[in-house]
Amino acid sequence: MQPLLELKNIVKTFGSHRAVDNIDLTMQTGEKTVIIGPSGSGKSTLLRAINILETIDSGSILFEGNDVGYRQVKGKQVLDKPKNICKLRTQIGMVFQHFNLFPHMTVVENAMEGQVTVLGTPKAEARAIAMSMLDKVGMSSFADRFPASLSGGQKQRAAIARALSMKPKLMLFDEPTSALDPELVGEVFAAIKQLADDGMTMIIVTHNMGFAREVADQVVFMENGSFLAKGAPDDFFAKQCKDPRIQSFIDRIF
Amino acid sequence: MKTKFDSILRSAVIAALLVLSLLALSAQAASTATENADALMRKANDVMVTGDLEAAITIYLQIPAPGPEGDEGQFASSRMQAARLEFAVKDYPAAIAIAEELLAVYPDNIEALQFRDSVKEAMLPQWKRLMNDTIKFMPHLLKGSLMTLLLVVFTMIISPIGGLLIALGRIGDFKAINRLCWFIIWLFRGTPLLLQLFFIYYGLPAIGITLKPIPAALIGLGLNYSAYLAEIIRSGIQSIDHGQMEAAEAMGMSNWQAMRRIIIPQTYRVILPPVGNEFIALIKDTALVSTIAMVELMRTADQLFNASFNITVLGLAAVIYLLFTTVFTFTFERLEERVGAYEKR
Repeated sequence: MQPLLELKNIVKTFGSHRAVDNIDLTMQTGEKTVIIGPSGSGKSTLLRAINILETIDSGSILFEGNDVGYRQVKGKQVLDKPKNICKLRTQIGMVFQHFNLFPHMTVVENAMEGQVTVLGTPKAEARAIAMSMLDKVGMSSFADRFPASLSGGQKQRAAIARALSMKPKLMLFDEPTSALDPELVGEVFAAIKQLADDGMTMIIVTHNMGFAREVADQVVFMENGSFLAKGAPDDFFAKQCKDPRIQSFIDRIF
Repeated sequence: MKTKFDSILRSAVIAALLVLSLLALSAQAASTATENADALMRKANDVMVTGDLEAAITIYLQIPAPGPEGDEGQFASSRMQAARLEFAVKDYPAAIAIAEELLAVYPDNIEALQFRDSVKEAMLPQWKRLMNDTIKFMPHLLKGSLMTLLLVVFTMIISPIGGLLIALGRIGDFKAINRLCWFIIWLFRGTPLLLQLFFIYYGLPAIGITLKPIPAALIGLGLNYSAYLAEIIRSGIQSIDHGQMEAAEAMGMSNWQAMRRIIIPQTYRVILPPVGNEFIALIKDTALVSTIAMVELMRTADQLFNASFNITVLGLAAVIYLLFTTVFTFTFERLEERVGAYEKR
C-alpha cells in the first residue's frame, strides 16, 4: 500500500548541532506514531520539518508518494515555491504546545479562518464544518468565546478543532499537553483519542507514556536526533525499556 | 487842478495805508492766535510729561476751535490727545465726548471715528466684547481650520499606508528594500519637519519639480508621519508572538495572508495608543505648513492677529486646536477599548 508519508534520510542541523540525524519514517494511512524522548532530542524539529516549518538540510519528504517541500535547482536542494508549500500544509494539521489560537477571533472564527482564507470555502459552509469539529472535541458551547476566556484544556481542544476544520490527511501534535495543568491533560487526550478512533493518521510528540501506550500503533524513542528504538507499544514497553538510556528517561518521566 | 489832484493822491495814500495797516493788524491777530495755541500745546505736553494727566487735559481743551481765534491742526491734535488721555485715565464717556466735539467740527476725521468706536467697544462688558470678537474672527478661523482638517485627514490616510509598507520593508528579508526603508526612516525622523517642508516647497524647484502648496504640504507631512508610524507598526508586528505566524503558516496561509488576517489585526491593540499620540501631534504639526504659503488655521490666526493686535484671535485658535485634539483623544480612547476587547476575560 502507498504510504501516506515517507521520510527519507532527514537531516537538520543548527550550526554544528545535528538536531535531526538521518531519520527514516514511514506512515500508512490511519497509522498513529508517538515520538518520545528527552528534551532537545529533535522530536519537535522532526515534526516541524514534516510541514516545512523547519527547512531540512538534506533528505526527502514524500507525501502520498510525491516529493514535497523541496526541488532541485542545479543539483542543490532548495525550498519549493511558497504556493506548493502552502498547498501541502493545508493537508497537514498541526497542534502546538502553546495552542497558538488567534486571540482576536472567537473559537468558531479560529476554526473558520483557514477554510475561508486559504481554501476559499463559503462562510456559511465553513461555519458548519467548524461547528461540527468543535462538537467533536466538546467545544461547540464555547464557539463564540474569545480564547482569552478559556482554560488551557479548552484552548487546546479548540486548536485541535481548528486544525481538523481544514480536513487534513495527517495531524501533527507537538507536545499538546506539556503546557497544561495536570488536571486538564485528560480532556485533551480524550479528544485526541477520539480522533484516533475515527481513523485519523497522526504523529504525536509527547512525554506521556500512558497515552503513548493507549493510542500508538508504533512508539519511537528519539535521542540526539536519531531513533534509538521503534516498535509497537506493548512490545516497546516490554522489551525496549530494558535499554538503560530509555529506562532512565522513562524513570525521569514517571 | 494841482490841489485837487494832491488831495486825491493824499486820500489814496491814506486809504492804502489804512488797508495795509488793517491787513497787518489782522495778520498780527492771526499769528497771535497760532502762537497762543502753540504755547498751550507745549504747556499741555509739559504738564502731561509730569504725569498730571487731568491738568494736561484741561489745557488741551483750552485750545480753541478753528475760526478767527483758532487753528485747524492744533485743534484736531489737541482734542485727540485729550481724548486719549481721558481714555488712559479710564474716563470713557469723557473720551467719547471729546471725540464727538472734534467730529462736530470735522465729521470725516477718520482718527476720531475709529477712536470713538474703539472706546465704545471698550465700554462694553468683557463677555460682550469677547462675543463680538468671536463673531468677528470665528468665520475666518473656521475657514482656516477646514484646511487644517483636510491636511490632518489626508495625512491620516496616507501615513498608515506608507508606514505599513516601510515597516514591512524593514521586517522583510529583501536586503535592498530593507536598506531603503531604513534610510527613509533615518532621513525623515532625523530632520525637522519644518526643514523637510522648506526643502520640498522651496528646494525641489531647483531640480525642476515645482509643487503647489497643498501637494507639497501633504508630501511633507505624509513622508514624515509614515516614517514615524513605520517604527510603531514594526514594533507592533514584532511584538506579536512568533507562534501566531507559525499557526497561520501551518494551516497553509501565505505570508501576506498571515500578515493581513492574523498578525496586523493583533497589532492594533498595541499600536493604537502611540498612533493616537502621533495623530494628535500631527494636528499641531500642520501649523508648520503655514510657512510654505498655506493658509490654514495657524496662518489665519497669525494674519488676523497682525491686523487687529487682538489677543482673542490667538485664544480662539487655541480653542479650535484643543477641540480637534479632544475629539481625537476621546475617539482613540474608545477605539482602544474596542480593539482590545478580545483580551478581556
